[in-house]
Amino acid sequence: MFCSITSTAISGVDALPVYVEADVSEGLPMFNIIGAVSTRTREAADRVKTALRNLKIVLPPKRITINLSPGDVRKEGTRYDLPIAAAVLAALDRIPKESLEGTLVLGELHLDGRIEQVPGILPSILTARDLGLKTALVPAANYAEAKAAQALDVVGLASLQDLIDYCSDGRRPENLPAGDAPLSEEEDAEDFSDIRGQESVKRACLIAAAGFHNLLLSGPPGSGKSMAARRLPGILPALTKEERLEVSRIYSVAGLLTAAHPVIQKRPFRAPHHLLSPQALVGGGRSPVPGEITLSHRGVLFLDELPEMPGRNLEFLRQPLEDRFIQISRIGRSVIFPCNFLLVAAMNPCPCGYYPDLNRCTCTERDIRNYTARISQPILDRIDLRTEVPALDYDALHAGGQDKITSAMLKTQVEKAFACQKERYLDMPIAFNSELSARDIPRFCPLSAEAGRLLEAAYTAMALSARGYHRILRIARTIADLDGDDLIRESHISEAVHFRQHS
Amino acid sequence: MDIRITTVGDPDYPRVLSLYPGMPEKLYYLGNLPDPEKRSAAIVGARACSAYGRDQARGFAADLARNGVQIISGMALGIDSHAHEGCLSAGGKTFAVLGNGVDICYPRTNRSLYRRILESGGGILSEFPPGTEAAPYHFPLRNRIISALSDLVLIVEARAKSGSLITAQYALEQGKDIFAVPGRLNDPLSAGCLSLIRKGAGAALSPSQLLQELGFSADEKGEPAAPPSTSDLTPTARKILHYLSSDPKTLEEIVTASRLPLGEVFKGLLELELKSFTRQSVPGLYVRTYG
Ligand SMILES: [Zn+2]
Repeated sequence: MFCSITSTAISGVDALPVYVEADVSEGLPMFNIIGAVSTRTREAADRVKTALRNLKIVLPPKRITINLSPGDVRKEGTRYDLPIAAAVLAALDRIPKESLEGTLVLGELHLDGRIEQVPGILPSILTARDLGLKTALVPAANYAEAKAAQALDVVGLASLQDLIDYCSDGRRPENLPAGDAPLSEEEDAEDFSDIRGQESVKRACLIAAAGFHNLLLSGPPGSGKSMAARRLPGILPALTKEERLEVSRIYSVAGLLTAAHPVIQKRPFRAPHHLLSPQALVGGGRSPVPGEITLSHRGVLFLDELPEMPGRNLEFLRQPLEDRFIQISRIGRSVIFPCNFLLVAAMNPCPCGYYPDLNRCTCTERDIRNYTARISQPILDRIDLRTEVPALDYDALHAGGQDKITSAMLKTQVEKAFACQKERYLDMPIAFNSELSARDIPRFCPLSAEAGRLLEAAYTAMALSARGYHRILRIARTIADLDGDDLIRESHISEAVHFRQHS
Repeated sequence: MDIRITTVGDPDYPRVLSLYPGMPEKLYYLGNLPDPEKRSAAIVGARACSAYGRDQARGFAADLARNGVQIISGMALGIDSHAHEGCLSAGGKTFAVLGNGVDICYPRTNRSLYRRILESGGGILSEFPPGTEAAPYHFPLRNRIISALSDLVLIVEARAKSGSLITAQYALEQGKDIFAVPGRLNDPLSAGCLSLIRKGAGAALSPSQLLQELGFSADEKGEPAAPPSTSDLTPTARKILHYLSSDPKTLEEIVTASRLPLGEVFKGLLELELKSFTRQSVPGLYVRTYG
């Protein structure tokens, strides 16, 4: 009595096929799970036995062996409970074997037979489609996500009894939360027009979005730093279909897709607390899951109170900021998560938070200088732009009404700049001005004669470093793109000089 | 550069020192000694100063220097250094009296300042022989020389019971005019200055007031002259300059106050920064520089 069921293991944001084989033979009664399984996966034996017993299905006193193959893929978590139960039932002829041919099975079992959702459904469905499977049996709670992949015939199961019913006579549970919701372009609830005034902050956000430049916002508490950051994803061009799928895969393996939002439509905005663990920040764990940097992929990662973030955490950010992906190595294997995010960092201007309000700030100039220096230099090196966010005065805050600058207007300009960059970097391994290396800058940043003279003067008078010089050119390139100008002009340079991050 | 020595009785030994008791027999110096024909003002204060203190020290030093006043201080971090810097920025001559040998730059972070004081025709002075390391008890001692060399002593920021108050004490004993820059009542960095004012020191309200004290007539040198070359500025830059002061201003404030388009403000600010009419006290915050 032998049966094999198709399931998946998650590696990074991909799903690998795993075959769950059950063999029932004569011998001492036992229930063994083998094949590079983690302790937690091995515990499936107890959950499956108990769940079956609660359905009044008693296993015969035989030797039951479950093998999860291939042996070089490590199996983690509880996702194999349901395929193991299905394989056992089929091997014992309690359900017809043919009913599970060409079918993907995934799910965790409770002792009473209820089926719990598992992460990584979306990539699993896509892998199953590539394997030529036709049907997927998934937990009811994952039904919407599985349907949204639009790749297989999906059956959502709420309990082990549902599985038996489906396999025996094709009955399907009804009234599951549908995943067929149209991929509507949801309106952004938060709009830049909610922020009155602060023209310079909006301008900095526009440049940051247009060239995908990391941005440092400095301002007193309550000045609206996070208000501005929160609105940044809304002025980036809409995700393409491929990008939506790519981001949804990440949220799927992180177990963050819900029936209400089975697909990620909008660019992510993540604002983790500055004291979160390094693992939560960059990802990791025994079975590596994405961290905040990956959950921000193609969107915005907002780190408030950056100088208060432990240096160790900042250190972990360095390589991902450079590479735009992160490699996480665990015993014997490594996975790669993408993390191409726009970093928006915020800080108070000084330890007490009130500079430049000299009536309230009690810091010395040295305190103020040292405060930015708490941020490690390699991180500052990756931040092109900096702007002051002035305290919102009471009138501006309570005047109500909308500002004349709206997110829609800014988005149109960003789209234009994106188009310029797409054309410019067609045969380059980069996509944005922020990625321009010192070597490529002369080729892509032509200057008008006046602009060249002005930059030269600034370079000398301000004792700029080479890094500062290149930073100004990258920002000026983006400002010129916003103007639809191929040549970088004087006005682009003077604006870039103001908004450059100094350190 | 050679270290020179002057001894009581030598023609170059500062005459003014022989007026007071307890002055050193010998002075070691690099560069020059203060010109006895010119007025001198001491500007001293806290090491850990505030942005306000920094701007006041620089502002007073620059305006006095523009009128030919020599600035004397101790080259310590904070107010002392800013006073030297302010003087240098206005093209004046400044003199540092050290609590260690003149061949040692202490604090070491002031190496550039040390060099520029000498390059600009000022001097580095000390009663301690070359090679003498700085020691805590040296500093109160050198303060008596700073005070003695000056016609007037200005304390910019000082905590209660600080070294700057020792300088004030010497100045009092030597019969010098003492001025203190007023600060906020609840600010520990101003406590020393406020208590001096209460005890009768002059409240330093403007450089022109000190110039008058030093004998410059009011109409001769009225309000601090604007930096000479504003006429070279573009109208936009001049307009923006009008809204800048020693209070740090954000771009937003400048745009709102001047009602100029953002692009114009960027151009104007860069022009002002390149011509040294403004600097950023921290990135993105503009203060007017007086020199
Ligand atoms: Zn402060």
